[in-house]
Amino acid sequence: MDTKTEVLVIGGGSTGCGIARDLAMRGVAVTLVERGTLTDGTTGRMHGLLHSGGRYAVSDQESAAECITENRILREIAHHCVEPTGGLFVSKPGDSEEYFERKLSGCAACDIPTERLSGEQARAVEPYLAHDVERAIRVPDAAIDPFRLCVANAAAAREHGARIETHAEVTDLLLDGDRVVGVELAHENDTGQSVPTERIEAEHVVNATGAWAGQIGAMAGVDIAVRPSKGAMTVMNCRQVDTVINRCRPKGDADIIVPHETACILGTTDVEVDDPDDVPESQWEVESMIETLSELVPILDGARTLRSFWGVRPLYEPPETKTSDPTDITRQFFLLDHADRDGLAGLTSIVGGKLTTYRLMAERISDHICERLGVDAVCRTADVALPGSDNPMRLEDAMASFDLRSPIARRSIQRLGSRSSSVLSIDEPNPVICSCEAVTRAEVEDALSEVGTDLNAVRIRTRASMGNCQGCFCAHRMAALLHPDHTVETVRSSLDALYEERWRGQRHALWGEQLSQAMLTRFLHATTMNRAHSQTASSESIAFERFDGGDDRGD
Amino acid sequence: MSDTDDTSSFDPVTVFEPTEQDLRSGSDDCYKCSTCDSVCPVAAVDSSFPGPKFQGPEQWRLTRKEDTEIDDSIMGCSNCMRCDGACPSSVPLSQMHNTARGAYVEQQRFASDAVAALRSGAFRRAASIVRDGVADFRERIRNRLLANYYTAGRFASKLPRVANAATNFGPTRWLLERVLGITSERSFPSFATQTFREWWADRGGSHVENPDKRVAYFHGCYANYNTPAVGKAMVRVFESFEYEVLVPQQRCSGTPMFANGRLDDAKRHAETNVESLAEAIADGAAVIASCTSCSMALREEYPELFDIDDIDAVSEHTYESLEYLRHNEDLDAVLSESSGDAEEYVYHAPCHARNQGLERQAVELFSSVDGVTIEDVGDSCSGISGTYGWKTEKYDNSMAIGDPMFTEMEAAAGEQGMTECPTCAMQMSHGTGYSITHPLELLADILTDDPSASSDR
Repeated sequence: MDTKTEVLVIGGGSTGCGIARDLAMRGVAVTLVERGTLTDGTTGRMHGLLHSGGRYAVSDQESAAECITENRILREIAHHCVEPTGGLFVSKPGDSEEYFERKLSGCAACDIPTERLSGEQARAVEPYLAHDVERAIRVPDAAIDPFRLCVANAAAAREHGARIETHAEVTDLLLDGDRVVGVELAHENDTGQSVPTERIEAEHVVNATGAWAGQIGAMAGVDIAVRPSKGAMTVMNCRQVDTVINRCRPKGDADIIVPHETACILGTTDVEVDDPDDVPESQWEVESMIETLSELVPILDGARTLRSFWGVRPLYEPPETKTSDPTDITRQFFLLDHADRDGLAGLTSIVGGKLTTYRLMAERISDHICERLGVDAVCRTADVALPGSDNPMRLEDAMASFDLRSPIARRSIQRLGSRSSSVLSIDEPNPVICSCEAVTRAEVEDALSEVGTDLNAVRIRTRASMGNCQGCFCAHRMAALLHPDHTVETVRSSLDALYEERWRGQRHALWGEQLSQAMLTRFLHATTMNRAHSQTASSESIAFERFDGGDDRGD
Repeated sequence: MSDTDDTSSFDPVTVFEPTEQDLRSGSDDCYKCSTCDSVCPVAAVDSSFPGPKFQGPEQWRLTRKEDTEIDDSIMGCSNCMRCDGACPSSVPLSQMHNTARGAYVEQQRFASDAVAALRSGAFRRAASIVRDGVADFRERIRNRLLANYYTAGRFASKLPRVANAATNFGPTRWLLERVLGITSERSFPSFATQTFREWWADRGGSHVENPDKRVAYFHGCYANYNTPAVGKAMVRVFESFEYEVLVPQQRCSGTPMFANGRLDDAKRHAETNVESLAEAIADGAAVIASCTSCSMALREEYPELFDIDDIDAVSEHTYESLEYLRHNEDLDAVLSESSGDAEEYVYHAPCHARNQGLERQAVELFSSVDGVTIEDVGDSCSGISGTYGWKTEKYDNSMAIGDPMFTEMEAAAGEQGMTECPTCAMQMSHGTGYSITHPLELLADILTDDPSASSDR
C-alpha cells in the first residue's frame, strides 16, 4: 500500500505531536507515525514538571528564559493539562547560601517571578517540609500532564487534517539518491501482530524520535550522536506536597518532587545508557531517591510507593563537545538539517530539549521545514488553545451539571476541560470504572472511540488504572467495554497489554502496601479470573449455561 | 539607636505553628478491597450511598489542598464505625469520615463565601451560594439541635414533666417534623424527674473511700437526663466491689456532634471533659463509661480528631464499665454463684461496642448466672445510630437497617431486650415494643440484693 504526504513526522511524543499540530495549522499535509502509543517514549516517562525556568536560572539562562515564556503560553493554551501548583526551591543546612542568592538573581535576570520565603513560611505553604528547611524561593513551576498534552496536540493536528498513525513502526527510510523520499512502515493489528507494510512518500521527513533519533538516522546512513541518559522516577500513592519541591543546590540526583494528579512523582537520576530500548532498572536507584528526598519531606520515608519508571532523556551535544557527566550536557535542543550537515536532503532531526519547550521546538522546526518546502505561513500555536482548553468555563458551574459525586465531577472536568459536556452529558447511567482516579464509563468510552482497542491508550487519556490499585479493580472493567464490538481474542490481548504495562512499573514497588496490593491483584486476576492460564483449566470453552439453572444432575 | 528601639525591625518570635496536616496519607493503607463497603449498613439499604471506601480513602486521595468541597453523601454516613472494624488494613476510615463531615458542615456556612463572591463582583455566584445555603439551612439547624442533645437535655431537665408532655404532644411533633425534619414516627425519650447528678448530690457522693480502687464515672447525657437508673446501677455495682466512684464535671462526649459534623462544638465539650477526667486520672482513677458510644469517643475519636493536653491519657485510661470489671475483678466467679430473677433476655451488641471488641461481653457474663438466659441477635446494626434515625429523611433507612435485628429479636425466646447503647435501646423498643435493660442494671440486681440499696434505684 502506498500513500503520500507532504511531511512525515516520526515519533508520537510531545515534540512530534507539536510539530504535527504546528504544520497542520499552517496548512501542510502531515502524517505522524508512532511505533507504540502516543507518549510511549520519553514524553510518557517524565515527572510532569512544567518548568518555570528556575531550575536553569543559574546554569543555563537561555533555557530558563525559554521555559518561563513557554510556561506562560501553556497555562493559556493547555490549561486543562496544567495544574498551577507553584514551586519551591528549598535550602537545608549546608546548602550553599551563595547559590541560593544566585538562583534569586538568575531568576530576576530571566523574568521569572520569585518570592523569598523563610523556613516557617515555606512550611506554612507545605506542612510536611522538613523542620530544618531554612529558606525557600517560590517560583511559578506547575504540574503538567504530558499524556493529555500530547493527545491534545495530536487531536488538534487531526482536526487540521493530519493523519496520526500509532502502532506503526518505521522499518526503513526510502532513499532516492541523496534524498529521503519517505518511509516504510509496519503496522500492528489489534492483537499485537504485525501486518503488511505501508510505504509513505513524503516531501520531507522529520525525525522527532528523541533518544531513538540515532536509530532512524542509521537507516539513511547518517550519524546522530544522541547520548541517551536514563532517569528514574518513583510514583507515590498520594500527594505529600501540593507544590513542586526542588532542592536548591547546583546539581544532584533526587532533587525534585512533583505533585501530579492524585500522586507525587519523585525524580530523578541521570545516567548515560547505550540503548534507549534497554534501560537497566535497579532497585537501589529507587531506594536512594526516596532516602534523599526524605531529607526534604520526611513522611516520604515509609509512604506507599505505587511504581517506578525510567525515562530516557534525548540528550545531544555537538560531537566535538565531549562532556563526560550527562548532568552537564545542555538541555537545549538542536535542529539537525541533514542536507547541510550530511548532504542528505529531505530529512531533519530534532534532538535534545525538554517537554516545557516542546511548542517552541515545534515552531522552530516547522519554520525550518516551511522554508524548505516554500510554504509561507506563520506559526499560530501560541495563540490558539488546544482542544479541551478552548472554551473557558467555571469548574463549579460545570460540576453541578453531570450528576456525579463531587470529587468525581471535579476530576473528570479537570481532565476533560471544555470537552466535559460532550463526553459526560449522556442519557444513560454513568458508573465509575476506575474509582482510584475517578474515571467514569463515559470518559473511558470516549477514549475508546478515539483509539480502538488499545487500553494503554485509554489509560493515558483518562488515567484509568493509574491509581493505587494499579488496575486491580478496573483493568477488566475497561476491557469489558470492548465487548461485544471486538472478538474475545482482541479483548484478551488488550487486557494483557494493560496488565503487562501496569506490572512493569509495580515490580519496583513490591514492599509494604503495594506488595499487598499486588498479591490481591494476583488473587483476583490470576486465580479467580484464571488469567494466569492455569494448566488445570480445560482448553474447552466453559459451559456458562450450566451456571444459569444449576446442574440438573445435582441433588 | 539600639536594636530595641527599632520597632520596624522587631520580629515577634514565631513559634512553629502546627498547620493542619491532612489525611491523604491515610489512603496509603487502602487496597480497595471493599470489605468496608460490604459491612456498611447504610450502603446495604441505600444504593445511592457510595459507601465508606468512597467517603474515606478515595475521597481523601482525590482531594487536593485547594479542593474544598466534600461530597454531600458524607451526611448519609451514620457513623456506626463498622467499617473501622472490617478493614483488613487499618485504614482510619471513621477518622476520615468525621473529618470530611466536619469540612462539609463547615462549607455549609455560606455567608462568608457569599460576601466574598459579592466583593469580587460575582453576583450570580453569590446568589447561587445564598440559594444553596438557604436550602441547607433547615438541615443545619436540625443537625445542630440534635448534635447538642446535651444542651436540650439540660433545659428539659429543669422542668422534666413539662418537657415530657410538650415533646410528645402531637402538634409539637407535627411542627418539629414539618419545620425541622425530625421524624414524628418516634416517641421522644422521657426526662427523669431527678437527674443522675442531682441524685448523686442528694446522696452525698461516694459511700466508699478507697485511694487504691477509684473510678471516675463518665455518665454522658443519657444516663444523666433520661436513664439515671443506669448510673445508679453503675454506682451500686462498683461500690459493691469497694470502688470509690468519682463523678467529675463533664459535658457531652461528642458522639452526636461527630455524627453531625459539628467538630467545633465537640472540641469545646471535649476540652472540659479532658481537663476534668485527666484530673481524676491523676488522682488514680480509671474513667468508666456506661454508654459504649461515650467510651468510643473518649478512647478513639478524641485522639484522632483533637489535639488537647492529656487527651492521650484520657484515651488510654477509659473503659466501658463491664469491660473494666471483667479486667479487674473475678466477675465470672461471683456470677456463677449468683442467681437472678428468671428472665430471658435478647441482647443486641451496639456497633460502637463491637468496635471496642466488647460485643460478646454481656452474653458471656450472664450466661453463667443461674436463672438468666441471654440470646445474642447477631451482628446486625440497630440502624438508629444516635441522631441518624431521628432525621425524617433517614427514618426509612434507619428502620430498614434495623429490620434484621427486629426479626431476630422477635424470633428469640426472650421478650426483654438488653443493650449498652441508649439509642440502640430506643430503636429496639421502637421496633419490637420490648422494654430494654442495660447490663449494669441486671448486674446490679444480681450482685446487690441489699434492701438498703433500694433507695438508690
